[in-house]
Amino acid sequence: MLNYLVRRLLVTVPVLLGISFFSFALLYLSGDPTDFLLPVNVPEATREAFRVAQGFDQPLLVQFVNFLGRALTGDFGTSLRFQQSAGSLVWERLGATGELALAAMVFAVVVGIPAGAVAAYRFGGFADRAVRAVSLLGQAIPNFYLGVMAVIVFAVWLRVLPSGGRGTLEQLLLPALTLGFGLVALIARVTRSCMLDALKQDYIRTARAKGLTEGLVVWKHALRNAFIPVLTVIGLQFGLLLNGVFVTEIVFSWPGVGRLAIQSIYSRDFPVVQTIVFLSAVTFVFLNLLVDLLYAVLDPRISYR
Amino acid sequence: MRRLVGLIGSVIVATLVVAQGAVDAQTVPRNRTLIIAQNFDPQSLWPNGTTASTNLNPAAAIVEPLFWIDPRTNKLEPVLAASFTMQSPTAYRVDLRRDVKFSNGEAMNADALVHTLKVFVDAALTPAYTIYSAPFDRVEKVGDFSVVIHTKTPYPAMALVLTQIYVIPPAYWARVGPAQYAQQPIGTGPYRLVEWVKDDRVVMDRNPAYWGAAPRGIERIIWKPVPDDTARAVGLETGEYDVAASLSAGAVPRLQSQRNLQLISVDSYRVFNMILSMLPKHQGPLLDKRVRIAINHAINSEAIVKNLFFGKAQLLQGQLLRKQQLGFDPEIKAYPYDPNRARALLREAGYPNGFDIDFKIPSGRYAQDREVCEAIAGMLAAVGIRAKIVALEGGEFLRQLRTQELGPLSFVGLAPPDDPHFQMSQYRSDWRYTFIQNAQLDALIDAGVKETDVAKRGAIYRQASRLLNAEAPVAPLFLGVDFYGMSSRVKGLLPTGDQRLFLYGVSLE
Repeated sequence: MLNYLVRRLLVTVPVLLGISFFSFALLYLSGDPTDFLLPVNVPEATREAFRVAQGFDQPLLVQFVNFLGRALTGDFGTSLRFQQSAGSLVWERLGATGELALAAMVFAVVVGIPAGAVAAYRFGGFADRAVRAVSLLGQAIPNFYLGVMAVIVFAVWLRVLPSGGRGTLEQLLLPALTLGFGLVALIARVTRSCMLDALKQDYIRTARAKGLTEGLVVWKHALRNAFIPVLTVIGLQFGLLLNGVFVTEIVFSWPGVGRLAIQSIYSRDFPVVQTIVFLSAVTFVFLNLLVDLLYAVLDPRISYR
Repeated sequence: MRRLVGLIGSVIVATLVVAQGAVDAQTVPRNRTLIIAQNFDPQSLWPNGTTASTNLNPAAAIVEPLFWIDPRTNKLEPVLAASFTMQSPTAYRVDLRRDVKFSNGEAMNADALVHTLKVFVDAALTPAYTIYSAPFDRVEKVGDFSVVIHTKTPYPAMALVLTQIYVIPPAYWARVGPAQYAQQPIGTGPYRLVEWVKDDRVVMDRNPAYWGAAPRGIERIIWKPVPDDTARAVGLETGEYDVAASLSAGAVPRLQSQRNLQLISVDSYRVFNMILSMLPKHQGPLLDKRVRIAINHAINSEAIVKNLFFGKAQLLQGQLLRKQQLGFDPEIKAYPYDPNRARALLREAGYPNGFDIDFKIPSGRYAQDREVCEAIAGMLAAVGIRAKIVALEGGEFLRQLRTQELGPLSFVGLAPPDDPHFQMSQYRSDWRYTFIQNAQLDALIDAGVKETDVAKRGAIYRQASRLLNAEAPVAPLFLGVDFYGMSSRVKGLLPTGDQRLFLYGVSLE
């Protein structure tokens, strides 16, 4: 197990390096940060002095190595726009994004798994067809459209929920449901198909033959065995939830990392974008690792050497 | 399975706890709180730290300038200064109010102003303000509440510059430094910073010791960053915000029909025009003046304003200056929309079948920029000019502007400070993004910047405008328009053309 862990961790190093350099280069090729930090009509000498003061005059590779060196010690540099430590800017917003992503995930799991299980159990029936229809919608409707529609219906027409902001449970509801809706669909579909497989297995027939109640058969025997692919989906999707967060946070004025990222990209705030890319990549890689490790916990047949 | 259920359960509980923990205790009632939605969170609350209006608006409620220009009257009104006099064309005396203290108890006096000016001219600290402070030479304290600013050359735009100087407390500044000052500013203004939760809200409460008349009925102001256009409009409609800035034109019809809301459209200082470069490095048909004038005739600005801006944007009159500006010439008229005349001019210039040309346009930099440019390309096509649209992302667009790569044909919206010099100097031969080189125009620009006689100065700029109109290196189209939505409870708030929201004279009913 330890061996496996070490090997997996070593593999992440080139992955993170690659991602960091790629994003760094892309961002730099697409524009000069001084354009966003200074008005267009300042004298060229001022612009040049500013560029030197900020270190933009150095070769790209030097800037990148400097960034990495500092990042290893936890110092991601100073935001060009906010003149504040980039690390702390991201850290301040991490709670908001984590809260939103968790709430969305909880919603998706709590709704998606039972829905999928019921659909499989009532294969071909009304519940199955309903779940399949909703899943199709959930996967087809893009986040930004769903978000705007939700605001119009619940905030403008019905006036039951606020249109945006963060602080109260009501404010969490719409963004979390918007962000989680696509995931509900995916989880329901995967659960459904895995359950269908599981329900056909011999051990289910055995369990029924033993005289177990139908509830025990479905929830304990079938669902638990159907769970491994579902868990993989949840683990991988958690990383992808961070994508959805970019759009959802903008639509709902949610003060999280996604919104910070978008604004930092527009203003070429390299240190902040770098920090976010780096931390997102780390999160993604480690979530994958965590999912792999969880397999062993859920399925005694799997072990790592 | 049980473990999993336990895990999910604890996650739900944790989420609820986190969400509840973020609830802010509200002590000021909602009806005495003004909530303003802007598109961005401020990056700095030190006004002279940046020139972005989303920073300046909240910052100026805390830190005050020497003067402000009232958009209702277009007149210079004193704030911390009592008066200003030109002692000579290179010496400007500012007398301060004598009854003002910073909210930390420091005195607002000549020493504070001298210190402020020292920071203001320091290009390392205030790079965005160097175009204002470039002519400054030295500052002299001549009394406890009087300061003389000496300039290297006569500086007729001094009045405008004085509206850009925000007085800071020297002792506090010395103690905390610029970076922390920008986070926790102390000023003389009607409000004091209470809390700033990044990307979520800036909360400020009334300064009980304010020297002047504070906005009536407003105990607290909350500035909310709401980047999504639709979200700002919706939040205004549902009463979550009292003021929503920078609304999109698309929201206009819907908000206009709401009884408890007011929709305000403000002519912005942003001047939209076509670049028609006459620089030798931009070889091609546009080097022929007849072609440039033909393009002027081919574009129907009126139709653009009517269809894309609900008729609310102001058309430019064949010149870059607005009606309200010194140097506006009522005798100059825009080249009328006349496709036949355009075709005839193209024939005369040797292009009976028109020509192909790249048309570099900004995408997402200005409101509806793409739609406007597509309309223009269509109008050019109608007279035979096949303009191939090259859409550039905002950052790349600005870079190409600064390096003159946008030429020969492009569309820009420039918003220089509100003095004719800053507008005209963008066309001086040595300016980075000029698209004309003309010695006569240079001479006029150099004369205008030094002329302190208002009438003579106006005449100089009228002459410059006529020259630009005749040579046509630009096709002036229209002024930008900014849309604001406000609750009908908000009274007296009139935004300026540079998107500033001043609180002087504002009240909440």
